[in-house]
Amino acid sequence: MTDPLLEARKVTKRYGHVHALQGADFTAYPGEVVALIGDNGAGKSTLVKTLSGTIRPDEGEVLVDGKPVQLGSPLDARKYGIETVYQDLALAQDLDAAANLHLGRELYRGGLLGRLGVLDRAAMRRSAVAAFRELGVDLRDVGVPVAALSGGQKQSVAVARAVVFANRIIFMDEPTAALGVVQRGRVLDTIKRVRDRGIAVVLISHNMPEVLSVADRVEVLRLGSRVARLTAADTTVEELVGAMTGALDAAGKEGAA
Amino acid sequence: MSADTPVKDDPAAATGGPRGRSIPPWLRRLADVNEVWTFGVLVLLVVFFTAARPSTFLTSYDVTQIATNAAIYLVLAVGMTYVIIVAGIDLSVGSVLVLSAVLSAEYTIHHGGAKAGWGTIAVSTVIALVTGLVWGAMQGWLVAKAKVPPLIVTLGGFGAALGIAEIITGGQDPTGAVSNHLQHAIGFGKLFGQIPWLVVIAFATTLVFGLVLAFTRFGRYTYAIGSNPEAARRVGINVDRHLVKVYALVGLLSGLGSVMWLAYFGTTSIAGHATDNLTVITAVVLGGASLFGGRGSVLGTLIGVFIPAVLSTGLIIMGVQQYWQDVAIGVVLVAAVYLDQFRRRGRERA
Amino acid sequence: MRHISRPTTLVGTCAVLALVAATTAACGGGSSGSGSKSLEMITGVKSDPFYITMACAAQQEAKKRGVKLTVNGSAQWDVAVQRPIIDSVAAKHPSGLLISPVDTAALTPSLNQMQNAGTKIVLVDTTVSDASIGVSRISSDNVAGGRAAAKALAKLMGDKGSAIVISVKPGVSTTDERTKGFDEEMKANHPNITLLPVLYDNDLPATAASQIQSTLAAHPDLGGVFAGNTNTAQGISTGLQAAGKQGKVKVAAFDAEPDEVTSLKTGTLDVLVAQDPARIGTEGVDQALAAIDKKKVTASIGTDMVAITKANLDSASVGKYLYKDAC
Repeated sequence: MTDPLLEARKVTKRYGHVHALQGADFTAYPGEVVALIGDNGAGKSTLVKTLSGTIRPDEGEVLVDGKPVQLGSPLDARKYGIETVYQDLALAQDLDAAANLHLGRELYRGGLLGRLGVLDRAAMRRSAVAAFRELGVDLRDVGVPVAALSGGQKQSVAVARAVVFANRIIFMDEPTAALGVVQRGRVLDTIKRVRDRGIAVVLISHNMPEVLSVADRVEVLRLGSRVARLTAADTTVEELVGAMTGALDAAGKEGAA
Repeated sequence: MSADTPVKDDPAAATGGPRGRSIPPWLRRLADVNEVWTFGVLVLLVVFFTAARPSTFLTSYDVTQIATNAAIYLVLAVGMTYVIIVAGIDLSVGSVLVLSAVLSAEYTIHHGGAKAGWGTIAVSTVIALVTGLVWGAMQGWLVAKAKVPPLIVTLGGFGAALGIAEIITGGQDPTGAVSNHLQHAIGFGKLFGQIPWLVVIAFATTLVFGLVLAFTRFGRYTYAIGSNPEAARRVGINVDRHLVKVYALVGLLSGLGSVMWLAYFGTTSIAGHATDNLTVITAVVLGGASLFGGRGSVLGTLIGVFIPAVLSTGLIIMGVQQYWQDVAIGVVLVAAVYLDQFRRRGRERA
Repeated sequence: MRHISRPTTLVGTCAVLALVAATTAACGGGSSGSGSKSLEMITGVKSDPFYITMACAAQQEAKKRGVKLTVNGSAQWDVAVQRPIIDSVAAKHPSGLLISPVDTAALTPSLNQMQNAGTKIVLVDTTVSDASIGVSRISSDNVAGGRAAAKALAKLMGDKGSAIVISVKPGVSTTDERTKGFDEEMKANHPNITLLPVLYDNDLPATAASQIQSTLAAHPDLGGVFAGNTNTAQGISTGLQAAGKQGKVKVAAFDAEPDEVTSLKTGTLDVLVAQDPARIGTEGVDQALAAIDKKKVTASIGTDMVAITKANLDSASVGKYLYKDAC
């Protein structure tokens, strides 16, 4: 395989006496969908937060393209082409889809107006329309507040925001948890399409069949460290559950497929 | 934009669908603009009073006086609009106005008093503006960095600013607080002999900060932080710094309000600003801003300032007993907000 | 202050005796050896020229009578501010207290306690509703003041046109009485003047300004305004100035603070109805001393008010009514 795009080495994070991460490792390669799974409390969210710049690890290092980096804020992560779709979507409900897509990355008018911070709303609208079309998202009007959109549409806006600007890695935290069947299918399609552009997609999910259907590889966390790296094609739901719960060796664990 | 894109199978996308049949789209779009409704209320009031008292209401004299008396509240309300959109509140505006007025007056008193020239006026104006700005920034810092709820910070600020003003003056409005030049030129002066300067200043302020809110990054971040501060933080907006700026802005505008007050009334009126905050918040809420943040506009606020102003003027002209005015303003406030909520619920059932 | 310990014991003993005897009258006199009488004064707002003038006169009178008078005052018009002052004064067990209570009911318990301990209380300017408090009550005759204002205003208006009262808020006894007197006088003696309904500005000059302008729009024949207090007067004159009606519409205001006198001179105000705080202070001391010495006390005194216009401002009889910033 090629060199890893993003790597976490021996990352440790403590909250008081709680060891959320105890020397956790993680690897993502370009152009793959890698699922990060683990039971509740295994350290998934902490690891994702570390890699997306929301929290700083106590020990260990994060490497992008093989070089150690300091991710002090989501902004730092963005600079390395790392985007995150948060489980709560992190949308400003009162702003429209176009504004949300460009939030923090606004486009400005040319000349003096631009220097005064005047936004180029038309350009942002155009770029939003184009982005949604490319992702196959149906939005009747990119100009209505996000609050007025359906759950699936909101999800699409959040995904589109990450996809448009990510050029290396997207973290998706439970992107399908709140969705219906049709919308779920569409999000999974989007994930594959993004991967085909050579971007690494890190999928955090509890839905094992979904993980196996969309992911290329699976990395399993348990008790704050990585316990398994599996190729999705050669793995079964039973194996995944076994790795998550630590019953991997005790064969014959009945998984609910 | 893409209103003609076919709606696909997404069931929830049907929001607003059924209504679309009988009502033409442009009208529906217009009805979606919050200010239209508030403006409707204002127009209704004006029509009513004009019909009731055709010869006296809405004469040019009348319009000018309503605008002049609303000018100072308008300036405060523009700042309050920003604060309310970031899901904050500022109860201290009236007291900050008094403190700015008092500090500026102290300078005037010791540099010429009532006969002071334009140099003194300029310095005292700067003192008023800086006082407001610094006080506001301080409150913003407490809200953003020290994480004290804005209601508490500005309630404290409300008392403290007034207290300091009272300590400085001994509780009495000082004499010689304002230069006569300022009073004649700005307080009672008129642009082209027609439009009072107070109105010009208020509308210029409204225009500038209305445009900033609607069209610039600063405005957009204001809405974003009010909608979802965590989301704003995650996309790299410096939320704390922005909050400080917003509270500093309302402070600055309180300082500007104090200069206008001094010019118009010629005194610091220490005891006369206890309810400015409520007057101003009422106007902003009437204008369609949400106390939960994320919503509001300067245009709406402009209309919101004028609704109570027109109401009380109209009722006095009609000779309605005073007590009814308070009732009427209260009813209009609650009715306007109810209407707004009702409309929004219809739109956002998803 | 220095000799406080001895009288304290005396008064304390006295209070016990008074309880036993079930009469308070016997006590004050008993303890009043010459020079041991101490008077305290608590005004409504320390920095208000009205109260300053009152306190100055009281002090002068006390000095003349050879009694020591200590003046205290609240920083604001607030029960919570005044009560601690009363309590600390009570601890000194003075023979007499002159007080302007800032509330009609809330301070009654504190005052009652002092009264039971033998202190002769004289209520100056404001009162409390409990009639058993105080040996004497001295205040301006506000109804008469309202009448004086109406008379002076009607004269300036040439006995025609509309007139209006803009007051502070309903339910304040002093301002309500002033309005009552104003109405009575206008109705009884100036039938050609149309009296408009009273407006209230809640002590906000901005509201007063807008109200006077709206009234002008509805009643172009408006000739006179009676302002409830200083803030209101300020707002009214600003409103008139902005409307270009200054001087055409006559403004009457209460009190004669230095600021208002300046306004009268410059023509912003046309009539000042001055109370007589100096006389209230002087009478207060006299009544308190009379009570202490068990002489005849007048239970209720209403002091005069005088209407000051530009015409009589400089006359000697009016000069004493002007309030002072300092003694």
